[in-house]
Amino acid sequence: MKVKELVLNQYSGRVYKNRKDHIIEVEEGIDPVQPITANTRALPGIMTNRGCCYAGCKGVVLGPVKDVLTITHGPIGCGFYSWGTRRNKANVESGENFIQYCFSTDMQESDIVFGGEKKLRQAIDEAMSMFSPKGIFICSTCPVGLIGDDIHAVAAEAEEKYGITCVAFSCEGYKGVSQSGGHHIANNGLMRRVIGTGDKEINSKFKVNLLGEYNIGGDGWETERILKRIGYDVVSIFTGDGSFEDISNAHKADLNLVMCHRSINYIAEMMHTKYGTDWLKVNFIGIESTVQTLRDIAKFFDDPELYARTEEVIADELASIEEERAYYRTKLSGKTAALYVGGSRAHHYQSLLADFGVSTVLAGYEFAHRDDYEGRQVLDGLKEDADSKNIESITVEADPEKYRVFLTKERYEKLKNEIPLESYNGMIRDMKTGSYVVDDLNHFETEEFVRLLEPDIFFSGVKDKYVVQKAGVLSKQLHSYDYSGPYSGFNGSIIFARDLVMGLYTPAWNYVTPPWKNQSTLQAALAAGGEM
Amino acid sequence: MSKNLVNLNVNPCKMCMPMGSVSAFYGIKKCMTILHGSQGCATYIRRHMATHYNEPVDIASSSLTEEGTVFGGEKNLIKGLETLIKLYEPEVIGVSTTCLAETIGEDLKRMIKDFNETHPDYKGKIIHVSTAGYAGTQYEGFFQALRAIVEQVEMKPEKHDGINVITGMISPADTRFLKSVFDSMRLDVVLLPDLSENLDGVHQPVYNRLPQHGTSVEDISKMAGARYTIELSTFIENEKSPGYYLEKTYGVPLIRLNLPVGLRDTDAFLEALTKTGAKVPKALIQSRGRYLDAMVDSHKYNAEGRAAIFGEPDFVYSMTQLCIENGLMSTVAATGAKCSALEDKIKTGIAEVGQFMFNDHFVIAQDTDFDHIEQFVADTKANVMIGSSDGRRIEEKMGVPLVRCAFPIHDHIGGQRVRMLGYEGSIDLLDRVTNTLLTLKESSYRETLYDKYYDETRKAPELKLVVGGKMSIEEKTKKHPCFNGCGTGYARIHLPIAPACNIQCNYCVRKYDCPNESRPGVTTQTLSPEEAYKKYVYVKEKMPNLTVVGIAGPGDALANYEKTRETLQLIHAYDPDVTFCISTNGLMLPQYANELVELGVSHVTVTLNAVDPRIGKDIYQYIDYMGTRYTGEIGASILLANQLAGIKMLTEKGLIVKVNTVVLKGINDAHIGAVVEKAKELGCEITNLMQMIPVKGSVFENMPLTSNKEIMEIRKQNSAILKQMYHCKQCRADAVGTLDNDESFSLEAESEAWKTQVTTIDVLSEKVSDTPVKPALPLFAVASKGGILVDQHFGHASDFYIYEYEGGTVRFKERRSVSKYCDGSESCDGNGGGKNVKMDQILEAVQDCVCVVAMRIGEAPKRKLMEKGVKVMMTYGRIEEVVDEAARAFRSERAI
Repeated sequence: MKVKELVLNQYSGRVYKNRKDHIIEVEEGIDPVQPITANTRALPGIMTNRGCCYAGCKGVVLGPVKDVLTITHGPIGCGFYSWGTRRNKANVESGENFIQYCFSTDMQESDIVFGGEKKLRQAIDEAMSMFSPKGIFICSTCPVGLIGDDIHAVAAEAEEKYGITCVAFSCEGYKGVSQSGGHHIANNGLMRRVIGTGDKEINSKFKVNLLGEYNIGGDGWETERILKRIGYDVVSIFTGDGSFEDISNAHKADLNLVMCHRSINYIAEMMHTKYGTDWLKVNFIGIESTVQTLRDIAKFFDDPELYARTEEVIADELASIEEERAYYRTKLSGKTAALYVGGSRAHHYQSLLADFGVSTVLAGYEFAHRDDYEGRQVLDGLKEDADSKNIESITVEADPEKYRVFLTKERYEKLKNEIPLESYNGMIRDMKTGSYVVDDLNHFETEEFVRLLEPDIFFSGVKDKYVVQKAGVLSKQLHSYDYSGPYSGFNGSIIFARDLVMGLYTPAWNYVTPPWKNQSTLQAALAAGGEM
Repeated sequence: MSKNLVNLNVNPCKMCMPMGSVSAFYGIKKCMTILHGSQGCATYIRRHMATHYNEPVDIASSSLTEEGTVFGGEKNLIKGLETLIKLYEPEVIGVSTTCLAETIGEDLKRMIKDFNETHPDYKGKIIHVSTAGYAGTQYEGFFQALRAIVEQVEMKPEKHDGINVITGMISPADTRFLKSVFDSMRLDVVLLPDLSENLDGVHQPVYNRLPQHGTSVEDISKMAGARYTIELSTFIENEKSPGYYLEKTYGVPLIRLNLPVGLRDTDAFLEALTKTGAKVPKALIQSRGRYLDAMVDSHKYNAEGRAAIFGEPDFVYSMTQLCIENGLMSTVAATGAKCSALEDKIKTGIAEVGQFMFNDHFVIAQDTDFDHIEQFVADTKANVMIGSSDGRRIEEKMGVPLVRCAFPIHDHIGGQRVRMLGYEGSIDLLDRVTNTLLTLKESSYRETLYDKYYDETRKAPELKLVVGGKMSIEEKTKKHPCFNGCGTGYARIHLPIAPACNIQCNYCVRKYDCPNESRPGVTTQTLSPEEAYKKYVYVKEKMPNLTVVGIAGPGDALANYEKTRETLQLIHAYDPDVTFCISTNGLMLPQYANELVELGVSHVTVTLNAVDPRIGKDIYQYIDYMGTRYTGEIGASILLANQLAGIKMLTEKGLIVKVNTVVLKGINDAHIGAVVEKAKELGCEITNLMQMIPVKGSVFENMPLTSNKEIMEIRKQNSAILKQMYHCKQCRADAVGTLDNDESFSLEAESEAWKTQVTTIDVLSEKVSDTPVKPALPLFAVASKGGILVDQHFGHASDFYIYEYEGGTVRFKERRSVSKYCDGSESCDGNGGGKNVKMDQILEAVQDCVCVVAMRIGEAPKRKLMEKGVKVMMTYGRIEEVVDEAARAFRSERAI
């Protein structure tokens, strides 16, 4: 029996029906790729790894903006649990930095009964008097939407009173089916209220924004290093180590580089419509993919010097890691991996693994949509269900003053065929025949697939890390990198390979079977007359 | 600390109820938990628990969506239970609610009843518990779940010989310890809950996704028939206490004990176990002895500790108790939970340690956050923190090491193996704390010692003066000992040229100096502007770090405006870079504000005791304004209007304004916040909230004292509004030197020198007032911290307050700073030469006195003082009364 059936057959009829379309075995030569069901509700009780809307909005997109003070409006738990847990690093040497802080209105029973607006208002007053930030974000949690606190009105009042930017995000946990809804809400707020408000003069050439890079373990820093070395001006990063001012000036860039397609494609699309900024799907995870990405970006700007500089930097960076790359490849080649992470990472990391000869037997996203699996080609045919309708989708129009086009129409049409401009082909196309794609992999399936597919490494998060380790399989967290990183770019790839080698070859695995359980050792010992 | 004043929780020191609830269910055998609410709650909590325990943590969710918030979540919960049962086959299911479920008002009890009826095939037990995230912290959530468990499991009340032991959230390793004690005593115990294996499992080839260990339902059902229950928590309320429920419902006697941490509480726990008739095994008695031995071994190091402890109430209590037991001062004990009982239970213990450590500064706080804890750590100079890893931000920022030993520990591994229970657990943890202190000491020992005793350049690194050029106000502020926040380095001179005053405060007696700016009960010899000028020039040459000239009375600077102006003009001509600072009651401020700016005054202190004339009328007897005396509310209104207008004029000109406020119990103490708010609104830099020191003969003579602690509390509360001055010494109107070292007394002796030597300007015709020759009065040296009470050990006093006694009147004369010869640290354990030298200094400082009054004094200094003919009196009390008593006692021996 096929692996897929072996797993699914253990489910009840109802669960089977729900789950079967979330799992596909990649077949050869099917185009368009096989459809997969994604971005639908997780089954209650199934032990999904998904988070909530608030987690996507506050935890992922807004949290890393270091100089805006983000207040969680709600009871204490949500603020506490999203406090410094994503390892989105920020440079603390310069300017204001609230990354180390957790601000919560800590609602009590009486606030639920009588409403929490007053408390929020006072919390803002206190935040202003204590920290005097240039901007405040307010993120609401489940009860806020239910009791009807008008956080947007409070935000407007605060703007009036203090002359700052104060943006409210109605990202109650129950909205949508995963953290994905929260990304969208955060995107909308940033687009409406922050992007385009800056008026900094930027006169450099080759201006880019890095979208969907949250600087986990310093990834964004490595990427930025390479871009700057070539001569790009990184106007803003959404949102790792990001700052309010940078983001407000994002519309000054010529090109948006999209890393995490899932969490930030809304802004990329809206900026394209409103400011004419083109976006390019990039991948700085993996050596070959970084090289490809750098060449794609150079093509966009089409500047002879830039082409030369790009090749020069690529050659130099490759040379500097060549020795280690070759060594680690000998240690890793032939291993297999399963990945279950994010809305883009499970795709990105496959190319990094391939650099070292590791093949992927299973990959899945936690909160992705069909376009992340099958490519944006499917977008037109997607029907909105009740849950996606609950997440506001805003439309923007071209800004009469700030709209500008970088490419000529001819150049655009030509480039469209050469580089992933305003397009993303999804993960499945890059996967081998016979490998598995699983959406919203749950705890039960994790165990089953690990047992059946026997990958050497399982990439996921801390919630399933220990299950996998108990099964004797190396587990590597791709949410927080197990306190390591960066893994992006050229230097990151070596750190990543070293971490894998360290994990695969650690002496602990050798002791999993104790000597007294090992027949041959025992006999040998007895034969040798040794003491047991 | 009243949390009600704060609406913004900055860095929480607590989690939510569902977190506690699911943790408790993890100690039940073959149990799975489902959180009824958004799936984020389960995900976040799993993430936090997995990181702490380094174990798989499976918590299901009913994954409520927007639809569920409208139509109710029952459908989702039923589906969730069905799926959970099919995949995990749990024998027990814990259903915990979340904010969402509670806010939409889900009736769990009914839903579970219906579920059981519609799913007769399921034989397991479903236990529901109401845990809204806003209704409490994880601490309450944990017990709430335990309570629900004993309430909902069908009990078998048949009596048996076993006992029940119920715990809060303790580590798996500590749980294993408890079980080993029960085993070694051959006790039949139902331990609820039992996290020992489920959250700290062994590595095994086959992982079972359903927790196989923990307390079984079968065992729980026997709890109703037990001989008695020991509940290891003394803070949880009755309605959340499982032990209380068992006692009320089944008559199982309840013994509530603290966690068995440290000697006293472990003894109590073992004693409670022996009520069964069991004997304490030898091994435990041995480890008790070993703990005692360890206590003695490490007491010297522990005595240097000032611990900041934070976490759940039971943890904070037990950790504090462990510290107290080991002579380690716990200067901060803080819990994020609401727990008013905590303070009463630990206050006395900490105070007792404080008593022999001569440290009365400690904070106990409930319902607090890390923003406050950070402040407490700084204020009490804590040198070690004990609690969860959430203290790491303070550790990083302030360099105070953190011993991680409470949930959650996210940046270190081994949270599940932390030991603190029993004698051995206590040693384990104590050793970690002690070693942290030793590491800290070793890493800073040489530097501290060098800085303190040998490095002269470091002592006063800012002695260099900016010569020439114009200093900005910012630079001047940095060099102003009252405004630069630490009072060190720079010196100031107060020139007593302003004798008159235009208002009468109820705490003031006219024959003394103005209590708003100077030491109460002090009479200062006033100077003419020329004398003041000469004194300045003389002192400046001797004291190059002199940067500030202040006019602080003895009356009001602006009530003597002509003299103030003349003095400032003379000095400005000599030294254009000097900082001028004046203090005033503000009555004449609008009139002179612009002129003050022209005179080059950069800093002004205004005493503003109230911003409401209805309160002001009780503080001021009268004001003299434009030739008329006003009393009551009218007087207070005029004063207030002028103060506010004047301050505004100054701050608009860019001057730095400090507001002094005398805290008067029962009059303006509830009004301080409003004053500080106003000061902020007017653009003031800082407020100085001062103690009212009652002066005999004033209207407020018998007003109760505001204690040091109270004043610190008030300052802390108001620090959220505006910067507070914490280092005010309430100087004399003729103070000279740094704040810590008033040299006015030594200058007094040299008064002839400055009066005659300085001749750089023509002395105007006004006659220099002669110092009348008075017979020497008997002096009393008092060891006091704040100048109100005799409350210092002789060897610990950094200052002695010298009092004169004349014909039944006790009068403050001056403060003398002496280097402490016994600072309670490493230099104090030998008889080295250094010590003797310092002792000689101290003796010299007081040898002209007839008597030294201190709270305690060592035998050696006592002998030396007696040799020098100085009497010694050991007592505690108000200085004036004590000195009076001492004077009478010695009257017969000396001619007084």
